[in-house]
Amino acid sequence: MLRRILAQHRRQKASSSELPRQEAAQPISLSLSSNLQENLETIKTLLGNSHDLLTRSFFIGNTQHSCAVVCIDGLANSAMVHEQILANIQLMISTAEKTVPDDPEEILSLLFEEVLSVIEIKKESDFQSMLDCVLSGDTALLIDGTNQVIVIDSKGWATRAVEEPAAEGLVRGPRDGFTESIRDNTVRIRRRVKDYHLRFDGSIVGERSKTDLVVAYIDNIVDKELLDEVKRRLATIDIDEVEESGFIEQWIEDDFLSPFPQIHSTERPDKVAASLFQGRIAILLDGTPVVLILPVTFGLFLHSPEDYYERWIVGTLARLLRYIASFLAVFSPSFYIALVTFHPGLIPSDLAFSIAATRDGVPFPAFLEAILMVTTMELLQEAGLRLPKPLGQTVGIVGGLVIGDAAVSAGIVSPVMVIVVALTAIASFAIPSYQLAIAFRMIRFFAMFTAAVFGVYGVILSFIVIMIHLSNLTSIGYPYLSPFAPQMPRDWKDLILRAPITFLRKRPKALHTQDETRMRTGDQS
Amino acid sequence: MSAQTLAEKLISKNHMGINIASVTIGVGILTFPRTLAKATGAFDGWISIVISGAVAFLIGWLLAKLAARFPRQSFFEYTSLIASKPVGYVLTILICIYTMLFVSFEVRAIGTIAKQYLFYNTPVEMITLSFLLVVQYAVAGSRVALLRLNLLFMPVVLYVIVVVLVFAQPLVEIENVRPYFSSSWKALLQGSKDVGLSYSGFEIILFYTMLMKRPEEAGKSVFLGLLIPVVLYMTIYVFVIAVFSAEVAKNLTFPTIELAKEVEVPGGFFERVESIFFTIWIMTIFNTSAMWLDITVLNLTSMFKKVGKMVWILILSPIIYFIAMLPQNLIDFFSFGDKLTYFGLIIVYLIPICLLIIAFFRGVKGNG
Repeated sequence: MLRRILAQHRRQKASSSELPRQEAAQPISLSLSSNLQENLETIKTLLGNSHDLLTRSFFIGNTQHSCAVVCIDGLANSAMVHEQILANIQLMISTAEKTVPDDPEEILSLLFEEVLSVIEIKKESDFQSMLDCVLSGDTALLIDGTNQVIVIDSKGWATRAVEEPAAEGLVRGPRDGFTESIRDNTVRIRRRVKDYHLRFDGSIVGERSKTDLVVAYIDNIVDKELLDEVKRRLATIDIDEVEESGFIEQWIEDDFLSPFPQIHSTERPDKVAASLFQGRIAILLDGTPVVLILPVTFGLFLHSPEDYYERWIVGTLARLLRYIASFLAVFSPSFYIALVTFHPGLIPSDLAFSIAATRDGVPFPAFLEAILMVTTMELLQEAGLRLPKPLGQTVGIVGGLVIGDAAVSAGIVSPVMVIVVALTAIASFAIPSYQLAIAFRMIRFFAMFTAAVFGVYGVILSFIVIMIHLSNLTSIGYPYLSPFAPQMPRDWKDLILRAPITFLRKRPKALHTQDETRMRTGDQS
Repeated sequence: MSAQTLAEKLISKNHMGINIASVTIGVGILTFPRTLAKATGAFDGWISIVISGAVAFLIGWLLAKLAARFPRQSFFEYTSLIASKPVGYVLTILICIYTMLFVSFEVRAIGTIAKQYLFYNTPVEMITLSFLLVVQYAVAGSRVALLRLNLLFMPVVLYVIVVVLVFAQPLVEIENVRPYFSSSWKALLQGSKDVGLSYSGFEIILFYTMLMKRPEEAGKSVFLGLLIPVVLYMTIYVFVIAVFSAEVAKNLTFPTIELAKEVEVPGGFFERVESIFFTIWIMTIFNTSAMWLDITVLNLTSMFKKVGKMVWILILSPIIYFIAMLPQNLIDFFSFGDKLTYFGLIIVYLIPICLLIIAFFRGVKGNG
C-alpha cells in the first residue's frame, strides 16, 4: 500500500512540474551564425546583457580577421584567459613564422591545434551547449566567418579552503573535509583511492540549475545490480533546481514516510573512501560539501570512523556505548513517565519515595512535565544551531543550567525530570550521525505518548512498532536491519563488536560485493 | 525482481528453526509448570517434557516431510493436489479458523496477564485492542520482515530468561526436588499430554516451508526449533520445582512469572522483576500472534487470490477481537486454550499426517 502512495506522490510531482517546464526551459533553437557580431548580439540578448558577462572582440595577430572571447567574470580564471588565449592569439601568431590563412575554418584549426596551449579544449557548433559551457566557467572563442566556436576550459573561481567538518569532528583521524566544489571533492577521494578501478560517473541534474553530479564507486567491488538501481533512480530525477544533495537523497530514498534516514550523508572524505572500499556507492553533488553514501544499514549510523582508527577494544566499547545511548535517547523520558504514572512499585521504595517527595509541589502530571521539558530542550537545540558559535554556547548554558534550575525552584518540574531530560540530551549528542539523532528525537515523542497511555506496556509496544518498521525498511532494496536480521554472522565482527583489524578479512556480506576478500595473505585460515 | 534480491526474501534453515522456537514459546511457557506439577506431582515432570518433546519432533518431522514434498507450493495447493480441491478448501478453511482462534487466545492472554501484573485500572479491552493493532501493523508489512522480527526478539527473550534464572539460583532448595522417580508411568504420560499443549506451534512448518531456500531441510529446522523450547522448559521446570516445590507450583496460575517475582536483582535497582520479565515476554507473545495471523492471511489469500492481504486483515481483526473478549474469567480462558489445542490436534497434526500417507501411496509429488 505504501508503495502505491509513493507512486502517486511521484506521479503528482511529475504532473505538477510538466506545465511550466515546456515554456520555460525550451532549448534555444538559435544556431550559430557565421557572423561574429550577430552571435555576440544573440548572446547578450539571451543573457539580458548581464552584468557579469564579458565579451572582448579583437583581431587575430596582425591580420584583419576579427574574433571574440566570451566568458563570465569571476567564473573564468581571468589570468588564464589573458595569458593563454588573448596573449597567444594576439602576439604569438605575429611572432611565429606562420602565415595566417585566409579561410576562417583554417584559422580555427590553426588556433585549435597550434596556438592555444590549454589542456581541455573542444570545438562546438551548437549554440545551447556553448552557452552551457560558458555559464559553467569556460571561455568561448568565436571567429568571424565560421559557425564553429572553440570552447576552452578556464574554470577558476574562489573556493573555500579545506576545513574539518564541524559536525563530524574526531579526536584521531584526518582533518580534511569536503568543500562546495565537486572537483576538490573528487580529488579528496582520488587521493585516498588510487585504484584504477575507481569510477566517477558524471551527469547533470536540474533542468535549470544544471548541477554536476558524480556517482563514485569501485568498479570491481560494487554490486552491479545496486549500481544499476541507483542509476535508474537518478535518471528519474526531473526537477528544475538541485541546491543540495538532500534533494537527491529525498528523491531516490525507498520510503519517504519513514522517520529514519535511508541514505547516509557525510562531509568526511575518509568515511567515503572507506565506504567505497566496502562496496558502497557515493553520490557527490556540486555546490555542497555533503556527500551521500548508499546503501546503508541501521548499524552504520552508529559507527564512527574513529572506531577503526583507535584500537579495537576502544572501538568496541565506544560502539556499545552508542547503542546504549540510542536506547536512552529514545526511551528515557517515556520510562520516567511510565514509572512515575503507572508503576511506582517497579522502582526501589526509597527512590520512589524521594521521587514522590520532589514531585510534591509539581502541579502537572508526569507526562505534561516531560513534554514541557523535552520541548524546551528541542527549542534550545534549535536556537543554538541558528546562533553564531560563541553565542550558541551561551544559549546552551543559559538554557540548560539557568532554566533547568529556575524551573525546579519555581516548582514547575521535578529535579528528577531535569536529570532525565539532561541524560536524554547528552545521549542523543553521543550518536555520531545527526540524521539518526533527529529521527530519534521524533520517535521520543511517540514513545512518550504511548507511555502516558499504557505505561511500561506502552513503551514495549512502541518498541515493537519501531522494530516492525525498521524490519520492513530498506535502503535501495537492501534490508535496513542487516546483519541483525537477516542474520549474517560473518558481518557481526564489525557491528557492535569491532574485531581487531586483522580479523576483518572480508567485506560486508550484506553488500553482495564482487570481490569479497580484503586481505589476501594468510588466507589459508 | 532480480534473482539476488529474491534470494533475500527466502529464509534459511536456522531462521526457520528460530521461527518455530518463537511461535512455540508463547503463553504456554508461563503456565505449563502448574499443569505438569498437577499431573506428576513431583520433580519427575522433566521426563514428561522430554517425552512430549520427542513426540512433537516426530510429528513435526512428518509435517516437514509433507511440506517439503511440494516445494514453493502453499498448503491449499498441495492439499488440493493430494485430496481434490473441495477437500483442500474445507481443510484450509478449518485451519484458518484454528489459527485465527489462536490469535484470539494469545491476544487475550496478553490482556489477562498484563491486567494481573502491570495494570490495576486499565481495562482489558484497551490492552488487548492496542496489542492487536500492533500485530495488525506487523502483518500488514512484508512477510519476510515479520519473520525477521523473530531473529531480533528471540535472543532478547532468551537473555532475560537466563538473567532471571541466574538470579533465582540462590532461592533453590535442593530438598524440594526430592524424591526422584516417584511418579507412575501413567502420571508421566498424563503430564506429557499436558505439557504437549505448550509445544503447539511447530505446525507452522506446514505453511512456511514454501519460503525456505532449501525446503528439504525443513526437518532439521523442526529439530532446532523444538530443541530450544525443550531445553528451556526443562530448565524452567527444574527451577520452578526447586524454588517453590511441586505442592506450591500446583496452585500458582503463572508459575514462571511467579518465579521471576521471587527474584531479587542485587543492587536493588529493580524492585519487581516479574513486571520487567512480563514486559519483555510481550515480545515473544507478539511474535507468536503475528505469525498466526500471518498464516491465517497466507492461507486465505492462497484460496481467494483476488482478495488482498489488507482486506483480510481488516476483516479478521474485529472477529479476532470479539472472540478474544468472549472468555469471562481465567477458567473460561484456560478451557478455551485447551479446547483450541485439541481442535488443532486433529486439524494440523492428524489430518496432515493422513495426507502424507495418502500422498506417499498415491505417489503425488510437487513439481520442484
